[in-house]
Amino acid sequence: MLKVNQLDKTYGQDKHSLKSVSFTAQPGEVTAIIGPSGAGKTTILRSVNQLIRDDGGQILLDDQDIRQANKAELRKIRHHIGMIFQNYNLISPLTALENVLHGRLGAKSTLAGMFGLYSTAEKTEALALLTEVGLKDYAYQRCDQLSGGQQQRVGIARALMQHPKMILCDEPIASLDPKSTKIVMDILRQLAREKQLIILINLHQIDIAMDYADHIVGINDGAIVFEGPTEQVNEAVLQKIYRQSADAKVKVAANES
Amino acid sequence: MKAKYSSPQQFFRQRRMRLTVVLVILLLIYFGSVLLVNFNTFSSLAQIPAGLVWLFKTFIPNQHTTTYLGPIFYQLWRTLIVSISSTICAALLSLIFAVLGAKTTSPNRVLQLTVRFGASLLRNIPVVAWAMILLFSFKQSDFTGFLALFFMTLGYLTRAFTETIEDLDTEKLHALQAVGANYFQCVFCGVLPEAASTMTSWVLYMIENNIRDATLVGILTGTGIGFLFNQYFKSIRYDAAGLIVLLIAALVIVLELTSTQIRRAIA
Ligand SMILES: Nc1ncnc2c1ncn2[C@@H]1O[C@H](COP(=O)(O)OP(=O)(O)OP(=O)(O)O)[C@@H](O)[C@H]1O
Ligand SMILES: [Mg+2]
Repeated sequence: MLKVNQLDKTYGQDKHSLKSVSFTAQPGEVTAIIGPSGAGKTTILRSVNQLIRDDGGQILLDDQDIRQANKAELRKIRHHIGMIFQNYNLISPLTALENVLHGRLGAKSTLAGMFGLYSTAEKTEALALLTEVGLKDYAYQRCDQLSGGQQQRVGIARALMQHPKMILCDEPIASLDPKSTKIVMDILRQLAREKQLIILINLHQIDIAMDYADHIVGINDGAIVFEGPTEQVNEAVLQKIYRQSADAKVKVAANES
Repeated sequence: MKAKYSSPQQFFRQRRMRLTVVLVILLLIYFGSVLLVNFNTFSSLAQIPAGLVWLFKTFIPNQHTTTYLGPIFYQLWRTLIVSISSTICAALLSLIFAVLGAKTTSPNRVLQLTVRFGASLLRNIPVVAWAMILLFSFKQSDFTGFLALFFMTLGYLTRAFTETIEDLDTEKLHALQAVGANYFQCVFCGVLPEAASTMTSWVLYMIENNIRDATLVGILTGTGIGFLFNQYFKSIRYDAAGLIVLLIAALVIVLELTSTQIRRAIA
C-alpha cells in the first residue's frame, strides 16, 4: 500500500505547489490523480520516487518511508517502482529489448550495468515481457522507429522488468490515439488486477479516469479536494476539482490582455 | 521581452525597416574598408582570370612529376596517420571532459567551469601558434605535429561534445534514474548511446579538418606532406607542389565520402 501523508513542496521562495497532500493507493487498484493543469499532479508523482525532493511529509510504501532512505536504499526502492511517461523517455538509438533490460539497472552492480552485461535469464525475461505487451516482433527494432503506442508499451515492459510493487504513470496516454490509449490502459488495469500492483496514474481525460480507475484523487492548486472510489465522483465533485481559484482567474486574465 | 505592436502591418513595417538598416550598415562598412585599403573590386576581379591561367600553367603536374609520387604518397600516409591518431586520442579524452563539463551530467560546478574554461583556452589558440609553441620543447618532429593537432582538437571536441550532451533530453536520464540506475549507469546506458551518432559525426569532421591543418602544421614542424610541399615549392618544382595540392584535395574528398558512409552505417 502507498500512503502519502501531509506532503509539502515549495518551488523556490514562495511557489507553494503541494499543500499538505495526503492520500492512499491500494495494490490491485488503479488510482487516478486528476486536476487542472498546474495543479501539482506531476510534482506528486515525482515526489513518490524522489525524482523531486519535497520539503516535508511522509511517503510510506509498505510502511517504509521513502523520504528517510539514504542513497543506496533509495536506489533499491526505486528499483521496485516503475515509471512511465507521456514522452515515453526510451533511449531512442537502442533496441526495444535493450530498453526493457534497463529495467534491471537498479539491481545490477555498477560495472555490469554500465557495460550491459545481462544474464541469459534476464534476456529471456525481457523478451517474454515484450511478447506480453504484444511487441515480440519489434524486439530488435530501434525505439525511434516505433510508433508512440508501441514505445509506450516498451516503457511498460521496462517497468515490468523491475518486478515493481508500483507503477507511476505521468499522463501515459496524452500523446496517443484512441486505439493505443485503450491498449495501454487495458494493460495497466490488467497489471493491477493480476499482479496486484499499485497503479498510480496522472490523467487529463476525465472519461478515461472514470472508465479505468477504481480510486480517484482530485487535486486543485496543490491541495487534495477529493479522494474516494470512482462511483462517488459526480458533477459537483468534478466542479470542485476543476474550479478555477479567484487567483488563477486573475492570472489568466492578466496573461490574455 | 515582449514587443508591442498595434497591428501586423506595423510589425512587418518595423521588421523591413530593421533589415534595411542592417543592409545599409553592411554597405557602409564595405565601402569604408575599400577606401581604407585602396582595394578596387572591379580591377581585382578582372585580374582573376589571368592569375588562374598562370596558376594552371605552372602548377599542373606533367609527365615528369610522376617520379615524385613515391615520397609524396609516403608523406601523405604519415600525415593521415598523425591526423587520425591525434583526433582519436583527443576524442577519447574529450568524451570524459564533456561528461564532467556538461551542465546536465557534471558532478560538480567547479569541475564544470574548469572544463569549459580549459576547452575554450585550448580551442582559441590557433593550431599554427600551438605548433610554434610546441616546437620549443619537442623540436621538429611528427610528435610536435601530433601534439599541436591534439590540443586544438581536444578543445574543439570537448566543446562540441559538451553541447551535444546538454542538448539531450534530460527527461530520458530521469527515466533511468527512476529505474534505480546510478550515475555511471545513467552515463553509459543513457547519455552515450543518445549522443553517439552526433559525436561520431564530430570526430569524422575533425579528422577531415585535421588533414588540412596537418599540412599547415607540417610546414612549421618540418614533417609530413606540408614539409614536402614547402620543399618542392621553395626549389621551384611547382608541378610537384601542384600534385601535392591535388592529392590532399583528393584525400579529403575520399575521407568525406567514407565518413558519409560510416555515418550512414551507424545511424
Ligand atoms: N521546476 C519547477 N520550478 C518552479 N515551479 C515549478 C517547477 N515545476 C513545477 N512548478 C510549478 O508547480 C506547479 C505544479 O506543477 P505540476 O507540473 O506538478 O502540475 P501538473 O498538475 O502536472 O500540470 P500539468 O497537468 O500541466 O502537467 C505549477 O504551478 C508549476 O508552475
Ligand atoms: Mg504534469
